[in-house]
Amino acid sequence: MVGLSIGEKLFIQSGIAQDLRCDGRRRLTYRPLYVETGVIPQANGSARVRMGETDVIATVKAELGKPSPSQPDKGKVFIHVDCSSTAAPMFEGRGGEEFSSELSVALQRCLLGSNSGAGAGIDRASLCIAEGKICWDLYVDGLVVGSDGNVLDALGAAIKAALSNTGLPRVHVTVAAPDGEQPEVDVSDEEFLQFDTSGIPVIVTLTKVGRHYIVDATTEEESQMSSAISISINKKGHICGLTKRGGTGLDPSVILDMISVAKYVGEQFMNRLDSEIAAAEASEAE
Amino acid sequence: MEYLSPEGLRLDGRRPMEMRQLRAEIGVVPKADGSAVFEMGNTKVIAAVYGPREVENKTHQMNDQALVRCEYSMANFSTGDRTRKPKGDRRSTEISLVIRQTMEACIITHLLPRSQIDIFVQVLQADGGTRSACINAATLALSDAGIPMHDLVTSCSAGYLKSTPFLDLNYVEDSAGGPDVTVGFLPKLDKVTLLQMDSKLPIGILEEVMLLAIEGCKAVAGYIREVLLENTKQLEYRRGG
Repeated sequence: MVGLSIGEKLFIQSGIAQDLRCDGRRRLTYRPLYVETGVIPQANGSARVRMGETDVIATVKAELGKPSPSQPDKGKVFIHVDCSSTAAPMFEGRGGEEFSSELSVALQRCLLGSNSGAGAGIDRASLCIAEGKICWDLYVDGLVVGSDGNVLDALGAAIKAALSNTGLPRVHVTVAAPDGEQPEVDVSDEEFLQFDTSGIPVIVTLTKVGRHYIVDATTEEESQMSSAISISINKKGHICGLTKRGGTGLDPSVILDMISVAKYVGEQFMNRLDSEIAAAEASEAE
Repeated sequence: MEYLSPEGLRLDGRRPMEMRQLRAEIGVVPKADGSAVFEMGNTKVIAAVYGPREVENKTHQMNDQALVRCEYSMANFSTGDRTRKPKGDRRSTEISLVIRQTMEACIITHLLPRSQIDIFVQVLQADGGTRSACINAATLALSDAGIPMHDLVTSCSAGYLKSTPFLDLNYVEDSAGGPDVTVGFLPKLDKVTLLQMDSKLPIGILEEVMLLAIEGCKAVAGYIREVLLENTKQLEYRRGG
């Protein structure tokens, strides 16, 4: 990105202070959201989300695996994000690794809960087929194709859409096996179970510029931030994860205020996202 | 596996000399100077061009011509089994080099001295012919970026199975173990810029297969020209012309 002059920086900061951003939006307004599902047919589920020039693709691939011994009644979910060089020249070679790791970890924290699996946004118990023996392993891959700020929120939305689009084949255990042995299974080619995504949270990132917070920041606006908080919120309004970025310290009361703003914004975004996903699935079915 | 049915149809219903369906779109990555999506059947790639811009590493700067760089990477989900390393492995490095050399020969580099042109190609879905799709996408992206070129570079692959030349192999046909000839072609100048082959082929058959691939390249060139013309009409319309 080309550097910003002092005049441009002041323009961005004052605009935000006056509730009129560079592209005409208000502080808590999102950019137009476009969702397409089923973009990668060979994956079990996939989606592409565009917010302005930020363009991300998420895919879900399901494979049969063995549950981990500490959690025999839950399936496993792995989230990994890659930043494509097409998004920015600085992602070439290993340049995008740091940002990709940051995104992967933030998504895992927001969607998968703790190591013990408690409090996960994605219901891993529904992935179990035979307790202790067979479960589904979901590999969620994100690819950042275009980057213009707010990539984390876009990825969260894309993962939610991709999971809505995911159909897991129905698995019948044909031969029950004694302890220590793998049972035989029959994986159906026709019957598919739609993954239940009603409990999956959306991620809302609030970026603090000066004394105000904005939602859905562009790269230019992010360059002027003092700090940012990403909060994942589910349909019930519960917080499923929280990440603070940026070095500047925040007063605790400010954080609490940002959380309540995020809850309000998150509810509207979730409704909009759900209707976009439904529309995308409907047009894909045609 | 029956690569050619008794009725003369391939596994996906095509005739031996038939190409897969082509689809292209320009300007898909707004931040890039030029970008394009190119699909050949189920193979889908995105190319983005950043440049001409200032050279990052001054030691590589050339005073009489532009520096062309290229990176090829495959998305985790692009193949049937998830690949662990999207880039940096030997195959990706080789294909990056091949694409760079092909495009560099075609760009009029002496018009842009002391500058750098980056071509990034990302494979979203791989179903055979990724190399060709990448070169075609790169050509469109370079055109979108307005970078001067001698000619459009187009690419297509051809193989030889069951004593028949096959045009535009998909992944299953490519895995059959027969030869896979990839050709890069300049249609107006009528010159071959890239020629690669793997597996083995009797010399007498090579000419036939290569000429078939060249015909494929010409067909791709016709399609690319249509897409560029349509894009220019759109730009003219938006400008109020």
